[in-house]
Amino acid sequence: MSAPTKRHVPLTLGYKKNKASVRGKDKKVTLNLTSMIDMFTILVVFLLKSYSAEGQIVTLSDALTLPESRSDQKIELNLEIIVTNDAIIVDGEPIVFVDESVLGEGNPIPVLVERLSDHLEYTRQMRGTIDEAEMKVNIQGDVATRAILLQRVMSSCAQAGYATQNLTVIKVEGGEEQ
Amino acid sequence: MAKAATGRSHRIRHSPELDLLPIMNLFCVIIPFLLLSASFLEISIIEMSPTEGISAGAGTTSLAQSEEQQLQPKIILTNEEMFLGTVFGTRSISRVFLENRDGEMVNSYDYEVLSDALGDFRGELDAAFPTIPVHKITILTVDDVRYDNIVMTIDVCAIHGFDQPGLQVAAYSVLQRQILAGAGGVSP
Repeated sequence: MSAPTKRHVPLTLGYKKNKASVRGKDKKVTLNLTSMIDMFTILVVFLLKSYSAEGQIVTLSDALTLPESRSDQKIELNLEIIVTNDAIIVDGEPIVFVDESVLGEGNPIPVLVERLSDHLEYTRQMRGTIDEAEMKVNIQGDVATRAILLQRVMSSCAQAGYATQNLTVIKVEGGEEQ
Repeated sequence: MAKAATGRSHRIRHSPELDLLPIMNLFCVIIPFLLLSASFLEISIIEMSPTEGISAGAGTTSLAQSEEQQLQPKIILTNEEMFLGTVFGTRSISRVFLENRDGEMVNSYDYEVLSDALGDFRGELDAAFPTIPVHKITILTVDDVRYDNIVMTIDVCAIHGFDQPGLQVAAYSVLQRQILAGAGGVSP
């Protein structure tokens, strides 16, 4: 099949232009890109400001709303504990389902202590040794979590050997660099 | 009539046109890349310091405790009131009021009054014990205080240099004993 001739090509800008040039009324159509460049420049500056080279090292659960804080302390990659009003999840695995018995006492939760101890022991075996950086946990709690539940999780962490407990929060403006 | 010769050349001046297409191409590549790697939600952490259990003899300090531990303030959150317990005594800060947060009416406290009180305490502390740096603070709450109220309290404390918060939860009766025991305090 032969290539279509110019006459068979649908009416395009190029075709029209050719026709116009034959008539001697050639007008060069130029697109004014300046305003678009202005807009793109603003967009690029804004996006560069919110650019994160470190990437997201924490996965936020849909089941909870984190509280907001002015704290500016950078998050580190640690063991994640998610505390909602329904369950306590360690490293993506639900460990304790929250009911009245869990909210009724103030001591460490044995099942959670056991799971956290196992995790610490596993880390120790895998690396041969364990340093202070590995004895940290990040706790993601829902805004409506009750203090007793948070305190039980924190005391469970302390009993299992996780000496440092970090509360994960959403940073709001007004914080001081640490 | 012939045009008079001016002696000037009549070259047509073309205004130089900048070819913006390569810049547009560059932007078209950069913008999707930046959109993908932009983080619009910034996550940070609050490092909690370990706390000790509440002693039966509330308000008394043992000799074994460090000077900083003896001076560290306590913020007591109950379902009715917020208190500030310091070495100078325990006093009420604000009553609980209801606040609408995301369409839900929840208990809240007056954090501005707390900020003023902590600022005053920091001033008194620096004047009375200038050599002892106090950074620790204990948040002492009843069972059902909301997590966001705890975080807001920690935020206010951090503004005044109390940036090593600890959390303790106790029954209301225990907190009552703490408040009564700390009502005396010492003069600054």
